[in-house]
Amino acid sequence: MRQRTKRILFGYSLLIFAFFYVPIIILMMFSFNDSKIGTVWTGFTFDWYVKLFSNTQMFGALQNSLYIAVITTVLATILGTMAALVFHRYNFPGKKAIDFLFYIPVVIPDIVVAVALLAIYGFLDMTLGLITAIPGHVAISISFVMFVVLARLAGLDDSLEEAAKDLGANEWQTFWRITFPLIFPGVLAGALLAFTISIDEFVISFFTTGPGSNTLPVLVYSMVRLGVSPEINALSTIMILLIVIAVLFTGRKMISPNKKGEE
Amino acid sequence: METMVQLDNVSKKFDESYAVENVSLNIKSGEFLTLLGPSGCGKTTTLRMIAGFEKPTSGSIYINGKKMDNIEPYHREVNTVFQSYSLFPHMTVFDNIAFGLKMKKVKKEEIEERVNKVLKMVQLADFGKRKPKQLSGGQQQRVAIARAIVNNPSVLLLDEPLGALDLKLRKQMQLELKHLQQELNITFIYVTHDQEEALTMSDRIVVMNAGKIEQAGTPYEIYEKPQTRFVADFIGETNIIGGNVTEIKENYAALEFGSQEVYVPNNNYQTGEKMFISVRPEKIHLHTVQQEGKISLKGRVKEKVYIGSLVKWIIDVGNGNEVKVQQSASDVEDLALDTEVFVSWNPDNSVVLKQ
Repeated sequence: MRQRTKRILFGYSLLIFAFFYVPIIILMMFSFNDSKIGTVWTGFTFDWYVKLFSNTQMFGALQNSLYIAVITTVLATILGTMAALVFHRYNFPGKKAIDFLFYIPVVIPDIVVAVALLAIYGFLDMTLGLITAIPGHVAISISFVMFVVLARLAGLDDSLEEAAKDLGANEWQTFWRITFPLIFPGVLAGALLAFTISIDEFVISFFTTGPGSNTLPVLVYSMVRLGVSPEINALSTIMILLIVIAVLFTGRKMISPNKKGEE
Repeated sequence: METMVQLDNVSKKFDESYAVENVSLNIKSGEFLTLLGPSGCGKTTTLRMIAGFEKPTSGSIYINGKKMDNIEPYHREVNTVFQSYSLFPHMTVFDNIAFGLKMKKVKKEEIEERVNKVLKMVQLADFGKRKPKQLSGGQQQRVAIARAIVNNPSVLLLDEPLGALDLKLRKQMQLELKHLQQELNITFIYVTHDQEEALTMSDRIVVMNAGKIEQAGTPYEIYEKPQTRFVADFIGETNIIGGNVTEIKENYAALEFGSQEVYVPNNNYQTGEKMFISVRPEKIHLHTVQQEGKISLKGRVKEKVYIGSLVKWIIDVGNGNEVKVQQSASDVEDLALDTEVFVSWNPDNSVVLKQ
């Protein structure tokens, strides 16, 4: 490549990264800003973090979010993995149509899911609470789990399962000793995806939770309506750090069993 | 000897076409039987039905006298060596081999003893702790064999197990497998498309074509007495000559071959009957003068190929017909291309084929 082309590409990449990360860095900086208005730097402080940690409303919302996310992850991972196994193994009438149905939650606007669920709850005369948000969250994340696991299954040699059965393992033993360990990286990636989708899901949570059971994004939304407080900046900073740590940790975990197996 | 595996009129249909059609076969205990045929002939499907991975559309399979109709693969006393080896990538060599014994809940000490014994048998004693990916193709092949034989199966099914190895290793493994089979006295059912491999290793060869058995017999019978055109053509090189019976002379029937004649031992043939015969190139001799009282076809040298110990000739005998001749290199005179020669063979060395 020519020297000039290289330089232009480098500058261009720099610009893209700046576009991604500069707002986040500024947000993190202003979480340490000693000013309530938050547009001018006036001095360094930890006040907003102190204030944040004494905000019980915020912790309640975080708890709600985690509660929903954990249940969603478990359900979506189990159902999505089972769906992937069915699609990978069996041929049945209407397979293509059902396969198509799994793409719909990926492309359908969340608002449609939210309103539809709200209508069903109304029809069933159910009181909205915390758990009423879960079906919506599960519905939009199952497909993602299924796709990730299906991709992993596609790379799996079917004769491995035959070999296990040939050696005396029944269906159950074959699944837990051969199939599952080999698709586990895919299942884990699917679970992680479901968790992140649930934790920052706003629209469905906003519509389908009852009063007093705010999730974190919903609470942040209601706080921001009164102006961006540096407390939100502090919260965002903590969330970013947690996610970065989580990604680094699981990223390594996800790669290593895979690597060991395939080396 | 008692029957170990019996196929009773077994057919397998995929969609609307038969992969295997009305195959009946008795395989004796301790026999090395090879299913031989081109790809798509149904040999692998037959093997997979014996293993239990495919269900016959009709007919039944018996193993050790027991009907296998609804028996799952994990309840059959057979083990398979897969074409792609199918070693479990997330387990060590030791755990791969121990898998079958663990499933049968064999005691830990016994597992250790038996796995180490087969590892020694396949010359991989120090490789137990490795992962399959850290082994060469030949070593993986040995692990796959060890993983199967450690379970002391009544029958070992092998699906082109040497297909992925290079020629030299393949020849070596052929002999090792044959020795292993004799040592363990297990019934081997071996699938291959390599006729030389089949001739080298088998007690009995079953030649399959288009889902049906063409011929079953010892390697000698298959090579020397092929019954059908397909078998004669598929196993080794041969000359297939087709023509009408022109006259019956004493014990021989004369057959027109271009403008000349060849003879076959008479077996109630009728004048005018169309028949096919096979003559192996190594049964045919070349002469520079006409031979009296024998088949002796006049022709011209069209091609000569020297391959070390042997010389292969293609002789043009007129009317667009060619005869392949093969001779030991020390037996031949050096004949130039286009030299007039006479090809001859003993009529008893020709085999009459079924259509």
